[in-house]
Amino acid sequence: MSDLTIVLRSLLARRFSTTVVVLLVAISAGLLLAILSLRTAGERAFLRGTGNAHLLVSKDGSPLVSVLNGLFYANPPKAPIAYAELAQIRASFPWAMFVPTAVGDSYRSFPVVATTGEFFSKFEPVLGEPWRFTEGRAFERNFEVVIGSSVARETGLRMGAELVLTHGSGKSREGTAEAEHAHVHEEYKYTVVGILAPTGSPHDRALFTDLESTWILHAHDRFEREGKHKTVTAADLVEDDRVVTGVLLRLPSRDPASAPPALVSQYDKMRRDGSITVAIPSNEVQRLFAIVKSVDVLFLAMAAATLVSSAFAILLSMINSMSERRRQVAILRVLGASRARIFWLVLTESTVVGLVGAALGVAVCAVGLFAATQWLIGAHGIVIAPELDPRSVVLVAMGTTLLAAIAGIVPSVLAYRTPVARNLRPIG
Amino acid sequence: MSTSTSDSTANTTGPALEIARLHFRYGERGFELQLPSLTLARGEEMLLVGRSGCGKSTLLQLIAGLVDPMSGTVKVGGNDIHALKGAARDRFRGRSIGMVFQTFNLLHGFSAMENILVALLMSDVPKAEWTARAEGLLRSLGIERLDARVEEMSVGQQQRVAVARALACSPTLVLADEPTASLDPENAANAVRVLRDACREQGAALLVVSHDPSLEAHFARRERLEAASTATALTGGAA
Repeated sequence: MSDLTIVLRSLLARRFSTTVVVLLVAISAGLLLAILSLRTAGERAFLRGTGNAHLLVSKDGSPLVSVLNGLFYANPPKAPIAYAELAQIRASFPWAMFVPTAVGDSYRSFPVVATTGEFFSKFEPVLGEPWRFTEGRAFERNFEVVIGSSVARETGLRMGAELVLTHGSGKSREGTAEAEHAHVHEEYKYTVVGILAPTGSPHDRALFTDLESTWILHAHDRFEREGKHKTVTAADLVEDDRVVTGVLLRLPSRDPASAPPALVSQYDKMRRDGSITVAIPSNEVQRLFAIVKSVDVLFLAMAAATLVSSAFAILLSMINSMSERRRQVAILRVLGASRARIFWLVLTESTVVGLVGAALGVAVCAVGLFAATQWLIGAHGIVIAPELDPRSVVLVAMGTTLLAAIAGIVPSVLAYRTPVARNLRPIG
Repeated sequence: MSTSTSDSTANTTGPALEIARLHFRYGERGFELQLPSLTLARGEEMLLVGRSGCGKSTLLQLIAGLVDPMSGTVKVGGNDIHALKGAARDRFRGRSIGMVFQTFNLLHGFSAMENILVALLMSDVPKAEWTARAEGLLRSLGIERLDARVEEMSVGQQQRVAVARALACSPTLVLADEPTASLDPENAANAVRVLRDACREQGAALLVVSHDPSLEAHFARRERLEAASTATALTGGAA
């Protein structure tokens, strides 16, 4: 028997209200912790998606849009980079990596990225983590396609499967254009030659093929518009066909994990060319998170308000139980408990509710983050590692417990002031 | 949370109860109680009878130090309880006075054993002795289901648990407030027997207040509280 036993017995005597209040505290604490964890995990996840590219060149309206379209495949970029410009960029610097990409076609709403072999040999979807193939290999010939892990899982495409692409990002079944402005390149069938291992980046939800095949596809459209019906080959391509929508660049660097000193000067130099948009992907992700930070603070404030309201729930629950508690207090006083001891017993009771709620909240948060992570990987290919920052856990647990203790002050004072004689009288 | 019950003012000599010139009044013109003197020797038993509302329960609250008198002294075991303040008085009450109530006032949600242990928790009895003392008391009073919750027990069993709790800390004085009011005559007689036997065994003085005249046969010493207008006074031995 100890004072804590008395506290626990008192809580168990009001099982229902205790459970409800503990759950309320747990949800509030878990929510606050989840937001604190997600705000950093989200930024990390987006930074992860930028891979090892130092620079991204496109003709999008802004660097941020360029990164969202070029690396996260938010929308197909509208303005193409001409072949001559591409050559100019290539010659402008001794790049360690030069990977042109053309995004615009899709397969069952998954974006198709046309690129070169260097995309698999030099570009890393996640810094320090090169591509891995679950099956097959990178494309080597025209009309071969490599599919991301999520595409394989969701479409059921296997090695050797044939598919046709849709021009545009409209949702379509294979061979059938359903969306407005979308049409299907039925004349050219692609064969799956490789399936990529999951990377936890948006690339998991994309298909990859060679640039020349895409150029042939669109050259075919050009011939069709001109009324010439023929099977187009690489030999039919003209310079206007050879366009891309972006270029992933990497400067030579001794340390793969850090930006080389020449990056800033090269970035500034390229920005002077008003015809292109140059972005440092990691900077743009950080800029994006700086923009959403105010919303983030709002969410945090809302979660904190929920936590405060749960403290009020503790207060109300304890006030509501005062009538039954007064008799218990009176009995304890008769048995020799001092007023101060009664005060601390009641305060301990509210503190225990806060502590148990906080502990449960940490567990709820861990489970919730795990579930959210699985969902995000499945739905969007974004990996948000469910890391509970120990400092946040301690802060939220301490804050919740402190709030609960503060909520217990009024009931503790009421218990402290409970008149003993009056509350020992027979009931009724 | 301190559980210390040491008290340098504690006196172990003197009668179990010694009241002198006690005066108490509710508010300016409310109920008034005056008691010139009353002494109860250690181990003595006494029945205090009187009609409802004459101040019997108030007298017990004054003796237990739960309410303060206008004037006069109440000494338990030679210690003036009203001279003690705050926690010291609470500790003294827990250690020296056991109380049994009409509705027992047991802690619901707690087992019979735990009800006794809570009393011991508030005392200066060494923790090592708690279990043996509680078990011994409960078994001597015929309680076998020590882990049963008190609200699941019969009225008679609850009454025995209440007696065991009152005696848990080996008090100098046990105060019983209408201990038989909710019992039929046969059970009332049994309850009084249990209470008296237990107090005798523990060497505790017993002061029972009741409006039930049938209890008078059980006590050699009987006093009556009479209410006259607003004043109540002790009138000597009851017939």
